[in-house]
Amino acid sequence: MIKSTTDNNQQQFLKEDFEDGISKHHKKYLGTKVPEGYFVKSKTSILHRIKSQSNKEIIEKSNNQSVFLMQSRFKYMAAASLVFILSLTVWLQNSNKTEVVNEPYFESLIFSDTVLIESLLVDEIEVDAFADATLFHEILMKSELFEQKIDNLVFENLILEDSLINNYLDHGLIETIIL
Amino acid sequence: MSKDAELVRKLKDSLLKDTAFSELLDIYQERLYWHIRKIVTTHENADDVLQNTFIRIYKGIYNFQEKSSLHTWMYRIAFNESMRFLEKNRKKRHDNIDAISESNLEVLFEDEYFDGDEIQIKLTKIINEFTDKQKRIFQMKYFDNLSFRKISEILEVPESTLKSTYYTAVKIIEEKIIR
Repeated sequence: MIKSTTDNNQQQFLKEDFEDGISKHHKKYLGTKVPEGYFVKSKTSILHRIKSQSNKEIIEKSNNQSVFLMQSRFKYMAAASLVFILSLTVWLQNSNKTEVVNEPYFESLIFSDTVLIESLLVDEIEVDAFADATLFHEILMKSELFEQKIDNLVFENLILEDSLINNYLDHGLIETIIL
Repeated sequence: MSKDAELVRKLKDSLLKDTAFSELLDIYQERLYWHIRKIVTTHENADDVLQNTFIRIYKGIYNFQEKSSLHTWMYRIAFNESMRFLEKNRKKRHDNIDAISESNLEVLFEDEYFDGDEIQIKLTKIINEFTDKQKRIFQMKYFDNLSFRKISEILEVPESTLKSTYYTAVKIIEEKIIR
């Protein structure tokens, strides 16, 4: 009778379900246990590790981005693009101004109608003096004015280039180059 | 929508992920711990592997395609992580399998968190004599209370094979315990 009860208990041993919880089940049959409050501490530790790893990944990502921007290949590309854009800007501005610059130049080579009519009324003796005066007025004076116009134009161009550089810096150099 | 499916939906939502992960730890931490503990023997090892397992789960949740249940997917990660841990230790010690089997028991009996009595030690020794496959199947079925279908999904072994292996193991234990 006693033997039969023992056998039943021993056989039941492998057929029980664990209703008390998995930790108690392990303690009961394998003698293994965990420290007091282990699962609470472990949860905190896991959440902490995940948080710190996430922060680390964010920092690494931002570092990788800045490392990419600092690569020498990228710097050369940026410098070359900047030079190209500045040259293009200057060239485009100058090509637009060409007609404006040429107008006074051609005007200066043409005598005005008044001078031509006056030249018909001048005596032959006074022709040389008239010619000197006309040349002085029509050519030297006009070329002086033309030179002043050229200076103004160059000065304006310089101001325009400076404002463009400020524009690039304001909107982010890289974005400007890429766009 | 099942509770697990709802949890997965929240885990994949970046705004709800952290809250859902805390919930996931409450539900599965203890079960996964004991699953791991039986493979890696000591509490200290199990603690390390458990943390790594949950970090993998947190990072890999977006890759979870829901072809299996969340429970099964996490058990598989825990199982693989435990195997990786054992493999790493095996390489470190350059031991052969028999020596590891012997030393597993020594390590377990020396563990601060083991206080098995005579019958518990006897059961542990019997289980330790099983082949790796037999041991895993018996432990998952008997101690983790997993269904044959889930064990089949985790270990990728047909259910019929699992059943015959499990009942053979039970028979061996019954015979040895009763004897």
